Amino acid sequence: MARSAKTALVLCLDVGFSMSNSATGQEPPFQQAKKVIQKFVQRQVFAENKDELGLVLFGSDNTKNNLAKDDQYQNISVHRHLMIPNFELLEEIQNDVQPGSQQADWLDALVVCMDLLQNETLGKKYERLNIVMLTDLNTPSSPDQLDIIIGNLKRAGITLQFFLPFPVDGGGSNPPHGGKALSREQQQGLEMTKKVMMSLDEEDGLEEVYTFSDAIEKLSVFKRVEKRPMAWPCTLTIGSSLSIKIVGYKAVCEERPRKSWSVVDAQTHQKDDIKRDVVYCLNDDEETEVQKDDTIQGYRYGSDIVPFSKVDQDQMKYKTDGKSFAVLGFTKQSMINRHQFVGTQVLKVFAPKDDEHAGVALSGLIRALDDLKMVAVVRYVYARNGNPQVGAAFPCIKEKYECLVYVQLPFMEDLRQYSFPSLENNKKYTPSEDQLSAVDSLIDSMMLVEEDGEKKDLFKVNHIPNPQYQRLFQCLHHRAVNPSVPLPPMDPWLTTALQRPLAVATRCQAPLETLKKKFPLKEVVKKKELKTSKELFGNSTEEPDAKKAKVDEEEDFNLADITEGSITQVGSVDPARDFRTLIRQKSLPFGEVCQQLTGRIEQLLGNKNMNYYIKCIPCIQTFREQSVQVGNADHYNSYIQSLKTSIPVRGLQEFWDMLVQDALTLINKDEVEGSTFSSHDAKQFLTAGEKKEEVVAAVVDDTGDVDDLLDMM
Amino acid sequence: MAEWNAYYQNEDEYVDRDEFEVDYKCAGRDSLVFLVDASKEMFIRGEDGEPSPFDMTMQCVHSVYTSKIISSDKDLVALVFYGTEQSKNPRNTFEHVYVYHDLDSPGARRVKDVDGLRGENGAQVADETMGSGKTNLVEALWCCSNLYSDVKLRLSYKRLMIFTCRDTPHRGDCERDRQARTKAGDLKETVVPLWHLPGGFDVSLFFCDVVSPPEDESELGLQMEPCGKLEDLRKRVRAKEMKKRSMARLNLCLGEGMNVAVGVYITVRQTKKPNAVKLYRDNNEPVHTKTRLYHTQTGSLLLPSDTKRAQVYAGRQIVMEKDEVDVIKKFSDPGLELIGFKPMERLKLHHHLRSALFIYPEEETVTGSACVFTALLRRCSERNVFALCKYTQIRNSSPRFLALVPQREELDEGQAQIEAPGFHGIFLPYADDIRNLDAPQLPTASDAQVDKMKEIVHKLSFKYRSDAFENPVLQQHYRYLEALALDPMAPEHIEEHIEDHTVPKVKMIDQCLGSLAQEFKDLVFTLASGKLGKEQYTEEAGGAEKKPKVEMSEDELRARVQKGTLQFGVKVTGTKKRELIDTLKAQLAK
Repeated sequence: MARSAKTALVLCLDVGFSMSNSATGQEPPFQQAKKVIQKFVQRQVFAENKDELGLVLFGSDNTKNNLAKDDQYQNISVHRHLMIPNFELLEEIQNDVQPGSQQADWLDALVVCMDLLQNETLGKKYERLNIVMLTDLNTPSSPDQLDIIIGNLKRAGITLQFFLPFPVDGGGSNPPHGGKALSREQQQGLEMTKKVMMSLDEEDGLEEVYTFSDAIEKLSVFKRVEKRPMAWPCTLTIGSSLSIKIVGYKAVCEERPRKSWSVVDAQTHQKDDIKRDVVYCLNDDEETEVQKDDTIQGYRYGSDIVPFSKVDQDQMKYKTDGKSFAVLGFTKQSMINRHQFVGTQVLKVFAPKDDEHAGVALSGLIRALDDLKMVAVVRYVYARNGNPQVGAAFPCIKEKYECLVYVQLPFMEDLRQYSFPSLENNKKYTPSEDQLSAVDSLIDSMMLVEEDGEKKDLFKVNHIPNPQYQRLFQCLHHRAVNPSVPLPPMDPWLTTALQRPLAVATRCQAPLETLKKKFPLKEVVKKKELKTSKELFGNSTEEPDAKKAKVDEEEDFNLADITEGSITQVGSVDPARDFRTLIRQKSLPFGEVCQQLTGRIEQLLGNKNMNYYIKCIPCIQTFREQSVQVGNADHYNSYIQSLKTSIPVRGLQEFWDMLVQDALTLINKDEVEGSTFSSHDAKQFLTAGEKKEEVVAAVVDDTGDVDDLLDMM
Repeated sequence: MAEWNAYYQNEDEYVDRDEFEVDYKCAGRDSLVFLVDASKEMFIRGEDGEPSPFDMTMQCVHSVYTSKIISSDKDLVALVFYGTEQSKNPRNTFEHVYVYHDLDSPGARRVKDVDGLRGENGAQVADETMGSGKTNLVEALWCCSNLYSDVKLRLSYKRLMIFTCRDTPHRGDCERDRQARTKAGDLKETVVPLWHLPGGFDVSLFFCDVVSPPEDESELGLQMEPCGKLEDLRKRVRAKEMKKRSMARLNLCLGEGMNVAVGVYITVRQTKKPNAVKLYRDNNEPVHTKTRLYHTQTGSLLLPSDTKRAQVYAGRQIVMEKDEVDVIKKFSDPGLELIGFKPMERLKLHHHLRSALFIYPEEETVTGSACVFTALLRRCSERNVFALCKYTQIRNSSPRFLALVPQREELDEGQAQIEAPGFHGIFLPYADDIRNLDAPQLPTASDAQVDKMKEIVHKLSFKYRSDAFENPVLQQHYRYLEALALDPMAPEHIEEHIEDHTVPKVKMIDQCLGSLAQEFKDLVFTLASGKLGKEQYTEEAGGAEKKPKVEMSEDELRARVQKGTLQFGVKVTGTKKRELIDTLKAQLAK
């Protein structure tokens, strides 16, 4: 199908002085009109179509148009010629379009617009030429030219829309909104407007006359860019001998935004300044990088990982012969559970446009299914080697057309047949009659579809534009024209559109109060969890909860065994765990394991970051704990001492404070016989550190320290 | 460097992250022990050729193994026999207990093992390896409880299922019965339901005391009815085998100050073929990826705060902070907000976007929730209305509207739950999600044509069951993997064909229809006025698509190749189009 042709449109805005007049408390018509065109242009910009747009101001202080000669066509200014709208135009409208102090004849302005349209579309193809007139009609205009103008509009195929501060049928003797009666000029202008519009379109002409406030409301909604439905031609088959040509279309499908965010450099705002780099690493402690070429593919089969060659992959792939819409059988509609629909789309299936036989045959099927309350269960394959689906094709008969509605059904693997405790058979939860009637009155008061008469639906979700995109475009627009201003609050209309309708909200007040009284609800207060490092890491050193510690240990120990195979050294992922495991395994000398652990701790501390400090605490805790258990305090004590001396130089005061807090001091004689420290010494050790608190700013570049410290030991 | 990786994996602008993923990682692992009676009685086949209870059990175990591999391959499963002659258990301290598989995640070997215990051969294998001997359920239960305690992984959900056909395992030995009851009692805190097999099984004799009471008072009472059919057994095992996990706990706000706590569950969700993992060529060990951002010019590593997000419209780049991009999506706090009610007929069949959710009250979070919920459920169902709700799943997720459709509990004859009580949450489309289609204007069918089609429909009607279709893509994938895992050397020998129920049984359909298809076609053509080619209805369904014939002289072909305008109109089979063209080009270049 051919691309939709573009539209050329001229916005013709009255900026004359009367547009600034308004009753007190009312927004002047000029401001309203300006909002209308802002919203309109904004929509056009984000729609990114090829439509072209011009802007003509009249009543302006200056004059700038082709027709201006002598005293003709004065105070009419072509602000922008026909071109695709952009943010510059939006900025101009925001900053430069201001009310003028003159007045100009709106008919003259119309002629300028026509001239502009005709000159600037010459030789190009447009689907539609349109002029949008925004005015309060408060200028005297000469009706003698009217018929000629109408004739020209008709001849050029130009359509016209009017946006006025007052409704077209509210004029005359009734004062329009704002309480101000229409001036004589306005009444005359209105008559002329009616005449123009009616002569362009006898029946619906007046439908193209809007009020500003209506328009603002309607234009607030960003129109989605229409996507041309993609046809999916196929053949519906029943067995081998009955086939009907069909065409499927996506009818319902979650619409995604067309554009996604790209990552740019914070300073330069350049996308090209950022490079993404993906590396492959072995799951060892060093996270050794390997080349992509040195990797192969594999699949998990439970606990097995099966390496896979290209050959295997091709061989094992499920193959289909091509698109298919094959009937497997028919079943009662009631056998298909609505809540078991899967997939992310609904197809509507028609016969091809010009194929009457297919049309009749498909109609036969649709009507038969509809009469019998049945559906066709079909195998659906979108394209060759696409994954097959099983789905239901429901009959759908509308006034204007008939079709099958196809929805995917689940495979056995997709179902989770959970059972839930019975509710109604549980006495504890059985509501009383009293309670049930309270629920009834709530339902009554909150019915969104009025039962009487024409059954008006107060809340049609399928008429609400996706709020996510509305908000996104609102923010994008805002940021585009005000780059350094915080994002605006949500548009009030959008908030309202997503809320309980006002009528319902008011109506349900009383029933809700009753409901609250009848059904006492009480939040169960959960114990607040204290999150000190002790709590986080389980074992406290002050009051060792022997039982708990043991459980933790065992759990970790086996976890290591099962997941990682045997541990041969203290890794970086969970050094404390590895350390414990190694001590237990006794496969390495105690001293060596200790050295490995301290190596890791130093590595972590080198990062000077709270997260790494937090990781170090359990290492030291475990180190201490295991040393006490093994009865060898030397390694621990000497490490802690050397650590302490290095604190000021390395700027690790923050970390030291954490150790002090967790009372991770030296191991004393009472704990391990070989220790050279008394319990008093041990206590002193930490406090002394606090006294010596010479906060030396972190000066040292850390990479070197690790080795230095290790050498020192 | 691990931290970098972790950070970037959370960024969702690159991958459209599935916000419905339930985080199983922190929940621990499920475990399931099958405790199977291996006494002589278990091997007796049913009268009308029914498989023996043992055979049936093995089929169940097999299907649980394979479905675990597909859906939750981290879960642990064990298979233990009791009443065996031989004994095999970790410390060999229990007699007549044979631990066939200890608690571990199932893999190819195990699937094959269990497969080997199926059928006649399986019975023989079982007899040879384990034999049938004395029954001591105490020892068996004890052994199972050791299996749990030997596993040091965090187990979130522990279940033990007993399969037996004997209602008096100890033949009236009261002492043993008493001990077994005590042991089962000890197990209760970790072990949930027990199972039993068919055939005049009197639960009250012994097993009613062994079966654990429901998890809490509110839990559905256990179905005491033994099940005799394999299908039923399989279904019940399936229903019990998985722990139900809520993907979110939210408030259902009926109005200000009236918050009902509910859990949101996924009961249907498309299971996809898992992604391939990358392995290191030298040792077949899995590798992981790390993604980093570099500055192109300076080559320095960039912190997340060194970047912003941008989109371009009408030639202008619009820049926002990452936080702003997130915050734009926020409308309200997570939860369900009642908008009102609508009659059920307002719910349109074709308003479908994603799989539905299931909503069930959370009495533990807000006391009283279950009662309001039940009242609401009942009245909505009785009055045939649904509740319309605004649904915000997580912080910074934009709202969707759900139709909460009441679902009252349904039980089968055996008191087993077919439908759980609760609301189905059906996602409703926004205006943007509905596409405008131009329906073609075509003639409609006459009554005679419709009636003929009704005959066809009747002939081919069947009882649809949602669990009747296995996904052939998944099944084939795992079948190959299983074979490859067992014998990596010989993938070409895999000849096992899966039964693909999604393919129509054309012969059978043709037979069923007989002359009806032709009669319908005749009706369509005699009554319709057009003279469009009849052949389209008589062509074989197998070749549904016509293959357009493209004929080109070699010269023309050569000319086109040179111009690079060669396009294939022919339907190519086997190889990729690109490759074919390349081959052709190479050929003509000679």
